[in-house]
Amino acid sequence: MAKKRQESAPTEEPAAKSVKKKPAKKRANGELPWHPFWRCLVSLLVVLHLVAIFSAPWDLAVTMDGGALPPGYEVRMPQQPVPPPDSPVWQMPVVTTALHKFFHDYLNLLYLNHGYEFFAPDPAGTHVIDYQVTKADGTVVEGRFPSHEEHWPRLLYHRHMMLSEQTMLMGPQSGQQYADHLATVHGGNSRLSLKVHLLLSPKQVIDEMPLDAPSTFRLISEVNGTPRQTSEPQPAPAEGAPQ
Amino acid sequence: MGVFADTRGYVAEAWQAWNRFWFAPKDPATLCLIRVLAGSMLFYTHLVWSLDLEAFLGQQGWIPVKYLHELVQLSPYDGQKQWSVWSVFFWIDSTWLLWCVHLFALLVFFCLMVGLFSRVAAVLAYLLAVSYAQRISPGAFFGLDKVNCMLAMYLMLGPCGARYSLDSIRRLRRGDTEPVRPRVTANLAIRLIQLHMCVIYLFSGLAKLHGENWRVGTAVWWALANQEYQSIDMTWIANWTTVAPVLIALATHATVFWELFYCCLVWNRFTRPLTLWMAVAVHGGIALFMGMITFGVVMIYGNLAFLKPPTVRRWVDPVAEWFAVRMAGSD
Repeated sequence: MAKKRQESAPTEEPAAKSVKKKPAKKRANGELPWHPFWRCLVSLLVVLHLVAIFSAPWDLAVTMDGGALPPGYEVRMPQQPVPPPDSPVWQMPVVTTALHKFFHDYLNLLYLNHGYEFFAPDPAGTHVIDYQVTKADGTVVEGRFPSHEEHWPRLLYHRHMMLSEQTMLMGPQSGQQYADHLATVHGGNSRLSLKVHLLLSPKQVIDEMPLDAPSTFRLISEVNGTPRQTSEPQPAPAEGAPQ
Repeated sequence: MGVFADTRGYVAEAWQAWNRFWFAPKDPATLCLIRVLAGSMLFYTHLVWSLDLEAFLGQQGWIPVKYLHELVQLSPYDGQKQWSVWSVFFWIDSTWLLWCVHLFALLVFFCLMVGLFSRVAAVLAYLLAVSYAQRISPGAFFGLDKVNCMLAMYLMLGPCGARYSLDSIRRLRRGDTEPVRPRVTANLAIRLIQLHMCVIYLFSGLAKLHGENWRVGTAVWWALANQEYQSIDMTWIANWTTVAPVLIALATHATVFWELFYCCLVWNRFTRPLTLWMAVAVHGGIALFMGMITFGVVMIYGNLAFLKPPTVRRWVDPVAEWFAVRMAGSD
């Protein structure tokens, strides 16, 4: 208790030589500067805010696997395959979803609608995108993102890494957008290959297998892109069929 | 009768403790230090966008705004159109206007860092940081953007320019030598950062429990072996065939337990230093070995909210005085 009092007490040290003596504005011991009404109001807002920032990652954490199955379901057993998402067998969280739904717009507005699942559920292989753009004159531009050589400083490299990583989050249409962007930038037709870079086990490293051995890259999908129409007025939205 | 009296006493004591926790005035030194550091991180983060501004934030680029709207426009709960995902970049069509807004944003982040018109800069910095983050989510966002916006949001609430700022030097030059007073809003802002950090670590730890490798104790190896992340190749450690598995398992288990129990351990004065040094070790490791320098550093900035103002003043005041003497004169 005494420690807390000390912490919250004015902590003016002789920092500035020209500092005047603080005007004596005594408060009764333990008296707080805000009127109880304001403290109650702010307390209510603080509680609501804390529930909101708690509800987003809570809901995302409990729905990470799409819900829960009743006891007895062993999803790994081949004779009991995972029920489809719309199956009534799935048990969905009631409280967390209701809370998250209630605060959804508040969280979106403040950019707080996050799960904070850093490196979870497991660190996995990264996705990389190889691209090839064939220009009208036949020259070919090749590259990969992310690329240590091309993307500097490190933060810019990481932004490109997120582009390739989040294709899995956004779906195949995102690959089409990247392909069209590269085709527009380089002025030609592009071809993108989304790959996953598999990780090596300690045993493979001891056996001197390089971390970037060709066998560690597994092709997931390929996409073709064409330059976007940039003339005005804008044409109909480029819905470009996924390849 | 006794039960009622005890309950009333308990409620009264809890209310007093709640009031002390949130509404006791506090020196804004910690908040001001976080302003300097978070402001510099916001400035750097957004300065880097200048290298490829149109590709990431323009109407077209990697993720065109129209496509982004398709991704985020419907609420996952009721399928209705979401009005709450917003960004000024959704409305900016021309390149020159994009660059004007970007340069204005850099100026705002710079003002926040040096503490010039701090409160206004803090509000604008938060709105701009959210605008950038919403434009790249999903697409190119990651933890850095979440923590940048979180810190900017709480900086708005308190007197973040009271110390270590050009505002304070301007006050001195005007002859205003009134000492900085403890403020309730400084306490509120710091408490909110502290609790938000607890929420982040708790759910980061809980999410790891879903992962087999975090449970078994091998996750740190897979993080080290990821070539796209690594800035220093540490996979040579695999050659220590007897020690390496133990070290990796200990590091993995320690990370999970530290994240799970951060929200308890950081409040106790005996375990707080250990908890915070562990944060420095974990995030320093992420910055050093996994190339996520900005993310590692900004998480450490968030942890600084647990430093007491006298501690901050002991370390930062001499530096701030050095600047103040040169800029405002030695009288």
